[in-house]
Amino acid sequence: MLEFLDDIKRMNKRQLVYQALNFGMIVSSALMIWKGLMVVTGSESPIVVVLSGSMEPAFHRGDLLFLTNHKEDPVRVGDIVVFKVEGRDIPIVHRVLKLHEKEDGSVKILTKGDNNSVDDRGLYAPGQLWLNKKDIVGRARGFVPYVGIVTILMNDYPKLKYAVLGCLGLFVLVHRE
Amino acid sequence: MASKKVDSTGDSTSSKVEDEKPIKVDKWDGSAVKNALDDAVKKVFTEKYKYVENHWLMDGRLIICTVAVGAAMFALLWDYLHPFPESRPILIFCVLSYFVLMGVLTLYTTFLEKGIFLIALMKDPAGVDPDNTWTASSSLKRFDDTYHLVLEFTDAKTKSTRDVKLSKSISCWFDENGTLLFDLFEPEVCKLHNSLLAEKKNK
Repeated sequence: MLEFLDDIKRMNKRQLVYQALNFGMIVSSALMIWKGLMVVTGSESPIVVVLSGSMEPAFHRGDLLFLTNHKEDPVRVGDIVVFKVEGRDIPIVHRVLKLHEKEDGSVKILTKGDNNSVDDRGLYAPGQLWLNKKDIVGRARGFVPYVGIVTILMNDYPKLKYAVLGCLGLFVLVHRE
Repeated sequence: MASKKVDSTGDSTSSKVEDEKPIKVDKWDGSAVKNALDDAVKKVFTEKYKYVENHWLMDGRLIICTVAVGAAMFALLWDYLHPFPESRPILIFCVLSYFVLMGVLTLYTTFLEKGIFLIALMKDPAGVDPDNTWTASSSLKRFDDTYHLVLEFTDAKTKSTRDVKLSKSISCWFDENGTLLFDLFEPEVCKLHNSLLAEKKNK
C-alpha cells in the first residue's frame, strides 16, 4: 500500500515543486470559480444550502439555492431571500412579508418562512424588529434539489469532511500526471 | 564501497546502477509507464553520457503556475481583509488574471513543450565550441501500448537538427509485475544516440 510513496522518493526537486503547485492549482481553480461567482452575482455567498424545513413545500432541507444580489434589482414583497442575522453565521431562507422603503433607498424588511406559523421577529437579534439591506445575502434565483445533503453531512460529521479532503489532497500530491 | 566493472565498450562503470531498486509501476497505468520510461531515458543521458540537463522548459512552466497560484492566494487574502463588496475590483482582476494564466499555461504546454521531457547539453571537451543540444520527447496514447520516443540532436556550429524515432510496444521493456527492465531499455536508447552521432560524422 505504501508503494505510492516510492513515486515520491524517485522525484527530483523540480518534480516535487510541480506536484505541490499542481495541488495548489486545483485549490486555486475552485477558489477562483467561487470568487468569480461572487463577483458576477454580487452576493457574498452565491450558493447556499437550505438547512431547515421552514420553506416547505417550496424548498426542502438539502436543496441548493443560487442567489443574486444586484443593487439595480431591489427586493420586493413575495421574493424569497437569504439573510444572516447579525452576530450569527447561519443563512436563513425565508420569504419577504413586509417592506418599508425610504426615498434615499434604505429599506426595512420583515420575513417569514412559508412553513412557519409566525414571522421571523423571534429569529432576529434581541430588540431588532426589521432587517436591513446589509443583512440580505441575496435573492433566490434558481435551485437544485437534494444536492446540498452532501454539505449538511460534511458539517454534521466533520471527521468525514477531513477524511475525504485529506484523501483527495494526498492523491493529487502523489500522483504524477 | 562501489566496485568497478569494465563492460564491453571499454568504459568502466560503477555497479551503483545495479544497487538501485528497479522501478516498478502499475503496468496498466499509462501515465506511470510513460513517466518510468522517460525517467529511464533521462538516467541514460545524465548518468551514462554525463550530459548536463537544462531545465528552462520546466522552469517556465513552474513560474507560470506559481504566478497563477500567487494571484489566487492574493485574492483570498485581500477578500479576507476587506470583505466583499469592497474587494470587488481586486477580485475581478485576480479572477481574470488567473484564467488568462491558465490559458497561457495550456498554450505553453501544447505549443512550446510538445511532449519534450529532457533537454541535455553535450559539452565540447575542448571547451571552445558552443554546446550541442539533445532533446528527447515522448508520447504514449491512452490505452495504447506503443511508446513513441523522438531524439533530436542540434549541432550548435551548423545549427542543423537531426532526429531519430523509436516506436515500440512497452511490453518489450516491462515484465509481468510492471518492473522496468533497464538492461533491455538502455541499449536501445544508446543505439539511437550513437546513430545520431554517427550521422553527424558522416555529414
